[in-house]
Amino acid sequence: MTTPRRNLRARLALPGGAVAALTLLSSCAKDAPQDTWQPKGENARKIDDLQRLPFYLAGGVLVIVTAAVIYCVFKFRDRGQGIPKQTHGKPALEIALTVLPAIILVIIGIPTVTTLLDLAKTSDTQCIINVTGQQWWWEYDYPVQDGCGGVTEPIVTSGEIVFPADTKVLLRISSRDVIHSFWIPALNGKRDAVPGRVHTLRMEADQPGIYAGQCTEFCGLSHAYMRMDAVALDAASFETWKANQLEAYQAPEAGSMADEGESAYAANCASCHQVNGLADADGNPIISRPDQRVYSGAAPNLTNLMTRTRFAGASFDLLTDECKRRLHDASPSEFSAIYLEGVTPQCLNTVELREWIRNAPAKKPMYANPEQLGPTDGKYRGMPNLGLAEDQLDLLVAYLTERK
Amino acid sequence: MAIAERPTPVLARSGTALVTPSSSLGVFRRPVSTTGWRSWVFTVDHKKLGIMYGVAAFTFFIIGGVEALLIRLQLAAGENKVLSANAYNQMFTMHATTMVFLFVMPMAAAFANYLIPLQIGARDVAFPRLNAFGFWCFLAGGVFLNTSWFLGGAADSGWFAYAPNTGSAFSPSHGVDFWALGLQITGIASLTGAINLIVTILNMRAPGMSLMKMPIFSWMILVVQFLLLFAIPVITVALFLLTFQRNFGATFFDVDKGADPLLWQHLFWIFGHPEVYILILPSFGIVSEVLPVFSRKPLFGYKFVVFSGAAIGFLGWGVWAHHMFASGLGPISVAVFSVATMAIALPTGVKIVNWTMTLWGGKLKFTTAMLFAIGLIIEFTIGGLSGVTHSVSPSDTQQTDTYYIVAHFHYVLFGGAVFGLFAGFYYWWPKVFGKMLDERLGRWNFWLMVFGMNLTFGPMHILGLQGQPRRMFQWTDERAGDGFFNGAFWNLVSTVGSFILALGILMFIINVVKTARKADLAPADPWDARSLEWMTTSPPKEHNFDAIPHVHALDEFFHRKYEEDEETGEIKAVSDYATIMAEQEAHADKHIHLPSPSYWPIVLAIGLPIIAYGIIFAHLLAVAGGVIVLLASFGWSLEPSVAPDSDYDPPADGGESKKELANLG
Repeated sequence: MTTPRRNLRARLALPGGAVAALTLLSSCAKDAPQDTWQPKGENARKIDDLQRLPFYLAGGVLVIVTAAVIYCVFKFRDRGQGIPKQTHGKPALEIALTVLPAIILVIIGIPTVTTLLDLAKTSDTQCIINVTGQQWWWEYDYPVQDGCGGVTEPIVTSGEIVFPADTKVLLRISSRDVIHSFWIPALNGKRDAVPGRVHTLRMEADQPGIYAGQCTEFCGLSHAYMRMDAVALDAASFETWKANQLEAYQAPEAGSMADEGESAYAANCASCHQVNGLADADGNPIISRPDQRVYSGAAPNLTNLMTRTRFAGASFDLLTDECKRRLHDASPSEFSAIYLEGVTPQCLNTVELREWIRNAPAKKPMYANPEQLGPTDGKYRGMPNLGLAEDQLDLLVAYLTERK
Repeated sequence: MAIAERPTPVLARSGTALVTPSSSLGVFRRPVSTTGWRSWVFTVDHKKLGIMYGVAAFTFFIIGGVEALLIRLQLAAGENKVLSANAYNQMFTMHATTMVFLFVMPMAAAFANYLIPLQIGARDVAFPRLNAFGFWCFLAGGVFLNTSWFLGGAADSGWFAYAPNTGSAFSPSHGVDFWALGLQITGIASLTGAINLIVTILNMRAPGMSLMKMPIFSWMILVVQFLLLFAIPVITVALFLLTFQRNFGATFFDVDKGADPLLWQHLFWIFGHPEVYILILPSFGIVSEVLPVFSRKPLFGYKFVVFSGAAIGFLGWGVWAHHMFASGLGPISVAVFSVATMAIALPTGVKIVNWTMTLWGGKLKFTTAMLFAIGLIIEFTIGGLSGVTHSVSPSDTQQTDTYYIVAHFHYVLFGGAVFGLFAGFYYWWPKVFGKMLDERLGRWNFWLMVFGMNLTFGPMHILGLQGQPRRMFQWTDERAGDGFFNGAFWNLVSTVGSFILALGILMFIINVVKTARKADLAPADPWDARSLEWMTTSPPKEHNFDAIPHVHALDEFFHRKYEEDEETGEIKAVSDYATIMAEQEAHADKHIHLPSPSYWPIVLAIGLPIIAYGIIFAHLLAVAGGVIVLLASFGWSLEPSVAPDSDYDPPADGGESKKELANLG
């Protein structure tokens, strides 16, 4: 059974190289934004506290089993000894080795159940936000309530879920089409968004900051492009943010590019994308009817687009790399102020926005091809290619840049 | 017993050979060939069907493996463009579907078909034509499913196919129809196979073989067949609902008509969790045969292993909702399923302990089969332990639908189920084909697979805990992080690992080709084995045993070869294979009737995909398929299990029909 030395060396070369590479790589470490072991809020911390013990116990059991097998392999290999005694088992030993893991499981089981019930509590809610998934983005709306510091008129937004830090938020999660799953690992585990059902999920962040998330229930073609960010602001900044979301519509300056853009928007975009306060030439408000064109029945409300940092399922940046880094690297005390600056003209990432308006399905796979729309009665799943000319794009970007 | 004695016994005469008709006059004459392609296509012999199950399943294994490599190529780098989103979604759906339904399940059926009658001392299964029908259903369903690639695209909704994403609005290609109907057809194979093997095991064991003297592999297969018997009807119902939803305007999963999409999840996982044990228990049975033989000791705690297997069979029905901890079931349901899931770790742990204790104090011989069996102990333990971390349901809400889960079930299914199957390949190859697989290539095969699988699936633990979700056709550098745990590096490692793993499997294929070409035959009892299937020739004669053995003990063959000295406890050889075989031949049964081959199983099975194509493309075609099924059912029911003498050519010497197989000197 001896293996030639040459083989052994070849066998060890790759892991050896891998270990060397790992050592090098580990010298500079910044964990992924969706790391499940870095809780940034009470709920995620409860999960983290709970999960460490099972992981350590599992590691211990693995070491014991592996050691026992390796011991057998070296100790009892065929060295020409006689046929061993034909032992059929030792019931006492078997029972002991069944009871021992049972005790371990009880040790794990009790805190599991208590934590589980703890995480299902809704009575201490301080703020309610409705979360609705659809292919392939999330809508967040803030119903009128005393919570969240008081919401007097409904706020509808998308891209980022904005909420006050150090506050017990309750999400009411649902879906308009297929099943999605809402997950901000740093703040809590995931909860499915199921059409026809409303599921609740607690969320709390210790400090202001931006927390990454991703839809985790496979939801069709662009599942990979259905992301979300959770933005926690300090209490005062959250008040400012709310007030800003409810500010009256500011029409562009007459004769400006943005003014022409407003007409282009009304003609090309407003049938699906609501901008609150936008009116037609006669002064009548333009009410979007995305349900007539989009199978899921909704499209993101763009009233305050430039207060967000990403668009189209939080998959593309409105901020340039530099501005984005400034926001993401900000300390908790500076973060809220920087976030409230919104997307300034200097920070606007026009490349991604233009690409999107020019041909959205080319940037994010969507069922917008008329030939594929038979089963949906011709309704789109996602945004179609509008076939707009470049000068139209200029006008639309100018208009959207003012939607703060 | 499936062996139907003819009303007027025909005496066997010494020196007769098997006979075949000189001409075939079409389907109304019974096929009786014992050589050539007809002898395979129309066979009802459990051994030939076992080999065909194996070949077909391995072919699907290669197809599923290529799909896996394409998935890993796409994920090798961030925002990679090897596959489009649409192609990727089809690829992971079909990879899982192929590996579960078209590789592991039928490969276990291959082992079960071939070995169960041999292990329990029978001459065939209880219903040989049903057995052939099962094989052709599996093949027809598998081929049908894979034709979807060329007919508008394969299923793109994941192997779990959650409603309402499977609705025709969300999955407009015919892929999901192919998936639902294809699995319906392979489901028939599983169900008929389950009934067949249950009846075989319960009724056809050799005299003296009580259930507690039955080889452990047969026991695990028995448990699996009961799981299949109760699990397959559930998925059948679910697939019918889905087919009617998509093709006939039903509204089972339409939320706006009042449906609850969680209905599908419950149906799918009530099938889907027992399915996990359907996949793993056959391999548990295989290693429980291999470890004792190469440790030269009986399986430690045989009774504990049997009862833990049965316990898994029962508990496996009470844990399905642990796939749904994030679905919003409510805390009480989640708590119940959480605790039940922890409980199922106990019988599984018993097996690990018993295997390790089987090694303890043994005389270990590290053949390739043994290496795979020992490999399974460690790799499966890793998968089992990560499973315990998911049973902690709050932690599971962080882990589910991430790569951590992908890591977990690949350790269970690759490190567990597939390693067990490979141990079985090396162990039983000389039994089935009469030649030994090359041990040197076997070691390359094993080490490349061990190394490859740990490199492929090990890093997925890191990726998942770092928050990389499953089923995303692209990942981005922005969310991959950097430093030791960065996703970019570990995704690349995983892809490199998958190709090393593929190389290991290539070694197996090379080994098979090399073995097929070599001339020297395997010794009759190459491993000094312990169970009945080795107490006959390799490959076994068509009728398996010249004389049905009388069983006195668990590990009957071992106890015929060795005896324990009552005073010293020393084990002494008292007999050997040649002596035992000579004795068997001396007492050979004089009347051995085997069921005749038949056209109807394959004809009936071919009708099913025709119905399925018809449902998708033209309902008239479905009617045509239905007619075939109906005619074949009639033909089958009116056909006696043994062909009449008139189907056989009269013997040249003008004597009696030589249909009888016995040539028993």
